Amino acid sequence: MSDGQFRDGAKAALPIVLGYLPVGIAFGVLARKAGLTPFEAGSMSILVYAGASQFLAIEMISKSISWFPIVIATFFINLRHLLMSSTLSLHFKGHRLRTLGLLSAQLTDESFAVAMSNPSNISNRPSFLFGLQMISQTAWVAGSVGGALFGKLIDHKEYGIPFALFSLFICLLVIQIKKVHHLWVMVIAGIFSIVFKWALPGNWYILLTGILASGIGIALEMAGRDKR
Amino acid sequence: MRDSILILILGMGIVTFIPRFLPMVFLTRWVIPERLKMGLGYIPIAILSAIVFPILFFNEGGKVEIQPHYLLSAIPVFIFSWKVKSLWASVILGMLVYWGLGFVL
Repeated sequence: MSDGQFRDGAKAALPIVLGYLPVGIAFGVLARKAGLTPFEAGSMSILVYAGASQFLAIEMISKSISWFPIVIATFFINLRHLLMSSTLSLHFKGHRLRTLGLLSAQLTDESFAVAMSNPSNISNRPSFLFGLQMISQTAWVAGSVGGALFGKLIDHKEYGIPFALFSLFICLLVIQIKKVHHLWVMVIAGIFSIVFKWALPGNWYILLTGILASGIGIALEMAGRDKR
Repeated sequence: MRDSILILILGMGIVTFIPRFLPMVFLTRWVIPERLKMGLGYIPIAILSAIVFPILFFNEGGKVEIQPHYLLSAIPVFIFSWKVKSLWASVILGMLVYWGLGFVL
């Protein structure tokens, strides 16, 4: 563990904190409404730590659905992390399982995207990623518990809060555009994701788009090579 | 904590952890073919596109419906992000634009 790297990672988490705090509060408020205690809401944010599935779980709990269907739904919603974990693994060749376990437990869309906005920050620097993810999750847990404890202190639909994480994703997307192939993959993935979301239930569209659009990325790159 | 909630949280935790962890275990220990590495290089842009674009064209209920508030707020954030690659500044700008547009739309 290197303190400097951990601190740099923690600093890189600040834009995520800005988005996670209010969304975490919204989760806490809804969890409380569905009958969860602040301790239970906080435990879910510590042990599950996956926004979309936590919101879905709360909705299903409030409809008195039992634990098993909720766990199955959670599995499918979070299957998309397979792709992110695979991508990150290229940067942690041969690291200890304990380190990898810690890093993968806190993997989210947001921390993955921030990490990949500058891969040299995380390449063989688990402390950086750990700092980034630890601060992000702390914000999520603090928001959840705070929301469950104090209820409706702020309205999460106010003050541009719904747009915070979305702006983060837009900027992260722009940062990923480094060559013309990326632009094509973005356009193709944009179209695929809309069609798949329209045609398929749940959020299969993210996983499918991820696989197909990166496959097209390979094809474009290979075609470009052949020409040279 | 009630047993039913404890079981639920542990169950959700385990099934969420598995797809986050398994690729890390295997891909950090195997030799990865060049083609696969190339593909993984496109995963960030593919996934980010799949997160961003549908939000502009679907309502909260998951039905197709253009979201003018999101679309109009997204344009300045996109241009600003292109010029100034700052996550912080983009988030603040996006919130301000979205908030401001709320008074107009």
